[in-house]
Amino acid sequence: MKEIIRITIGLTISCLVAAIVMGSVFAITDKAKKHNEHVRVQDTMLGLLGYGKTNPPPSDLRLVTIYRYTLNEQGNIRLGYMLPVSETGRETYELMVVTPDGNFVEKLPLKITTEAASEAPERETALGSALKPSTSFSFADSAIVALKGKDRIAYLLPSEFPGFKTFVKVILALDTRFSVIGLEIMEHEEDPGLGAEIVQPYFKNQFKGKPFDRLKELKVIKEPLPDEYKAALEGKGLGKGTISRAEVDALRQKYQGKEIFSITGATISSRAVTNGVISAAKKFSYRLKALENVISAQQIAVVF
Amino acid sequence: MKARKKTNSQLLFDGILKENPIFRLALSMCPAVGISTSVMNGILLGVAVLFVQVFSSCTISAVKNYIHPRIRIPTYTLTIATWVTVIDLMLAAYFPAAYKEMGIFVKLIVAFAIITMRLETFACKNPVGPSFWDGIGMGLGFTFGMVALGFVRELLGMGTILGYDVLGFRPLLFFVLPAAGFFCVGLMMAIFNYMEIVYNRRRKAQ
Repeated sequence: MKEIIRITIGLTISCLVAAIVMGSVFAITDKAKKHNEHVRVQDTMLGLLGYGKTNPPPSDLRLVTIYRYTLNEQGNIRLGYMLPVSETGRETYELMVVTPDGNFVEKLPLKITTEAASEAPERETALGSALKPSTSFSFADSAIVALKGKDRIAYLLPSEFPGFKTFVKVILALDTRFSVIGLEIMEHEEDPGLGAEIVQPYFKNQFKGKPFDRLKELKVIKEPLPDEYKAALEGKGLGKGTISRAEVDALRQKYQGKEIFSITGATISSRAVTNGVISAAKKFSYRLKALENVISAQQIAVVF
Repeated sequence: MKARKKTNSQLLFDGILKENPIFRLALSMCPAVGISTSVMNGILLGVAVLFVQVFSSCTISAVKNYIHPRIRIPTYTLTIATWVTVIDLMLAAYFPAAYKEMGIFVKLIVAFAIITMRLETFACKNPVGPSFWDGIGMGLGFTFGMVALGFVRELLGMGTILGYDVLGFRPLLFFVLPAAGFFCVGLMMAIFNYMEIVYNRRRKAQ
């Protein structure tokens, strides 16, 4: 009996010590970690639009975010879009509630600034005070519209889907006709050397430039990646003069109609990413069309 | 462990050659087979293991007198998990560039046999100093093993070393596939054993 008590106490103490250590490290590092994450997301988005250190973004480039929530009004499922609107020069968010098949229900003003809206808890407070207390809501996804002046130049879609092991988080960039501008893998836990190859340029750049109609029917094929195509996708020799920009573009053009070549030994990961990208693009184009119909019918002064 | 005391440098070099975790102790075969597809993977995983091994070894040998013998394995697992989490969070917060490369490797480590095994056979019977050197030796040995495997597999499979094209063609794509990992580990193990036999024979002959 004494033995059991000693073991119990020993284990409890070890667990407590471990919990305290992990908890305090988390508390110390959390802020820096979130900041890094935010910087990384911003950099990635600009990178996808073709801006970086050597090519700084123009001053009239703006990224505005649409947040989508699912609302549950006593059993009735509704979609709530948080739309950035400008009213008499001031920018704020408005909540537009629609039915799942795209019929307008109501619109509610939200007390939240554009900066505060990037924080999830702030958004939830604003939504909670605008909606009836009986309505429950949960975050679904967000989409970012890149604006240059008043013109839309691209859509950036943070998306998440199951990979081979756990979830794969990506950002997909589409142009205004829903052709793929680029794909960036943000977070994944696939196996190094196999599934983790999805982050390699020779895989993720295969999506670049696929038109929307082609993208919808894209499949994964188990064929070896042709060497010239790989060189074009990686673009390694670009600065060194072994391959020119025109050659890269020509090769990309040549393979644009092709399916996605799967990664050797990681067909499941390749398929997961391809299907995830297709469904993200399809769903977004469908939702955006429905959303635009309602916006123009209701004459909401959206920013984008 | 025999009563004979080893010096720190002996502990260090034993980890690399005589008790190499992959080729002699045959521990952590899972990453050795699965991840050793390139030299870079080997280096990254090796460094991650080195850190976790050293920290865990020191922690366990410092508190070994307070651990009830019947709950030592859970305590080891807890220690390793704590260090993995701490390193993961620290990297994410202060070294974002390194985290981007090493993140997935660090998270893999919790389930590595080599670390638990070293805690069980060495750290819980020795003071902090030797445990530290043993940890470094094991970490380096593991890195060496992974890099050696990665070298062979990357060279034969992709024709590259560290991503640079050295052969200009791909001799056998088979070598980067998981199945080839078993062949590589087996062959390297055989080479290591053969070298030891030859070495011992020569020493006897002298």
